Amino acid sequence: MAEVNLKNLTKKYGDVVAVQDMNLKIPHNEFLVLVGPSGCGKSTTLRMIAGLEEISGGEIYIGDELVNNKDPKDRNISMVFQNYALYPHMTVEQNLGFSLKIAKVNPSEIEEKVTEAVAILGLEDLRKRKPSQLSGGQRQRVAMGRAIVRRPDAFLFDEPLSNLDAKLRTQMRTEIKKLHQKLKTTVIYVTHDQVEAMTLADRIIIMREGFIEQIGSPIEVFNNPVNVFVATFIGSPPMNVIECEVVNENNNLFIKIDKDMLMPCPPSKKDKLKKSPKVYVGIRAEDIVPSENSTDAEKKGWNFEKSIDLAEPLGTETQLFFKLNDKDVISRMYNPRVIEVGEKIKFEVDLEKIHLFDHETEKAI
Amino acid sequence: MFITCLPGIWIFISAFRPNAEILSKPANWFPDNWTIYEFTQMFSIEGYVSVPAFDYLKNSIIISLTSTIIAITIGMMGGYAFARFNFKGKNKIFLGLMLARAVPGISLSLPLFILWAKLGLINTSFGVIIVYVAMNVPFTIWLTDGFFRQIPKEMSEVARTDGCTRLQAFWNVELPLAGPGIAAAGIFAFLLSWNEYALASVLTRTIASKTLPIGMMDYLSEFTINWAGMCAIAVVMIVPAVILTFIVQKHLVSGLTFGGVKG
Repeated sequence: MAEVNLKNLTKKYGDVVAVQDMNLKIPHNEFLVLVGPSGCGKSTTLRMIAGLEEISGGEIYIGDELVNNKDPKDRNISMVFQNYALYPHMTVEQNLGFSLKIAKVNPSEIEEKVTEAVAILGLEDLRKRKPSQLSGGQRQRVAMGRAIVRRPDAFLFDEPLSNLDAKLRTQMRTEIKKLHQKLKTTVIYVTHDQVEAMTLADRIIIMREGFIEQIGSPIEVFNNPVNVFVATFIGSPPMNVIECEVVNENNNLFIKIDKDMLMPCPPSKKDKLKKSPKVYVGIRAEDIVPSENSTDAEKKGWNFEKSIDLAEPLGTETQLFFKLNDKDVISRMYNPRVIEVGEKIKFEVDLEKIHLFDHETEKAI
Repeated sequence: MFITCLPGIWIFISAFRPNAEILSKPANWFPDNWTIYEFTQMFSIEGYVSVPAFDYLKNSIIISLTSTIIAITIGMMGGYAFARFNFKGKNKIFLGLMLARAVPGISLSLPLFILWAKLGLINTSFGVIIVYVAMNVPFTIWLTDGFFRQIPKEMSEVARTDGCTRLQAFWNVELPLAGPGIAAAGIFAFLLSWNEYALASVLTRTIASKTLPIGMMDYLSEFTINWAGMCAIAVVMIVPAVILTFIVQKHLVSGLTFGGVKG
């Protein structure tokens, strides 16, 4: 159990900057998720914390200790890799007990801790098996078990679920969350899957090109994305972002959301929009509500009518696709019915739920 | 298979029959008189009569095993370095090693002879061992490099986060996984040393260092060739090599890494 502290952490490969001046404090027991597209520096950050990658600048503290020049073995961390990296020549229990054996813990204690770990992970029947005799999910469990037995200060997960099929991934996700609640240890978890990030994290860090774009709880980053990148990265389907002109008619500000379609500017943001000729409008798919499903509050908002290009029924909802300013836009229709292509549907939008982003900086207004 | 085995079979048959029968015309495929005469001549208790095969065998074993062990140790470390580390001139050094392997050994025999003569290494087992090590190292590096490359680097990384030093990770995880490759390199290095003739014929003189392939020539005299003796000593050469290959072969189980990572 320990706090992990990164100060001005930087990693360069030649002239290429992988991580730039990262400052981050991860308190005890926090489940922190680093998320971002490939090449954003999230794995590099994790590997630097583990000590597997040299750092080009800055400081890493685990607990109160500066670990910059410490070997991975002296950092008291455990890492779970994407491809499991189980020792193929050892049985499950040997895999689990390996770190303790290296630490010269006496055999009876190793046995005790391994027994405890297999019980936590439900691997009792597989103790004598080799990794090649295990299924993907079981291997992943052994990899986690191997991390658990050491009782590390921090767990580092590097995309641990991306090799599993969708069903197993959901199941293991739940298990990881339960495990964290049981073990109460600091967890730093890297993923490119925003659903994993949202479901697991106490706090999410969204990274892009070596920089932190936003830090916050899953709900915070979902509801208040700081820029277009975060807005489109977090949430499924991604937020609809439409480039629009700002029009001033009779001293009233409007956003030209489509040809011949003006949407009134949300009252709370009027002042900030006055000077901008253009703006990015972000609306979550669930905030474009077909009138037939809308609540009274939504009915008080703004509405428009569009013909549907495509409808994707998902069972609990149907996703409706249409175009605004030549950009594909998705609306979520709960209580779905059969939708014909070309059918005209009326949508309601609660103006206070839309997001506006500056046209130049792409930052939230 | 038949074509490969036929000369071997002929050697075995001829080793156990008198010389006269080998030279008989028309050729006699199956010996009428089985005899172990040539073997008793080589390994008689009162000392050898025909050829000091025991000394040659001893030299061969010492030279081949020692040079193999050294070549494998160096090759393993070198192969690991090439597979895992990036250093300046890596590719050039690797190419250099491969080119060194491409030079025919015999072309080096004269310079080697002169050099070894000056260093006093002629007719010593040590001198031969050095040459065989030099000959085998590029090969063992190349082979083990390939095997280490097949082991995902996460293996050593996870071992290091599990509390291993780099050396412990190598010893406990990567080395066992590269076992088949190292065994294969070992067999090849051993057989190369065991069978080598050209350089040994230049560098050895007496029973102090002569190996079996060179010893075989003892059966060649000015006017006669003792075919039976030659075949007998060939058998002495073949048998240990075959036995060793059989022993090591069972370690050549590839696909050992399967299951450790998502395949």
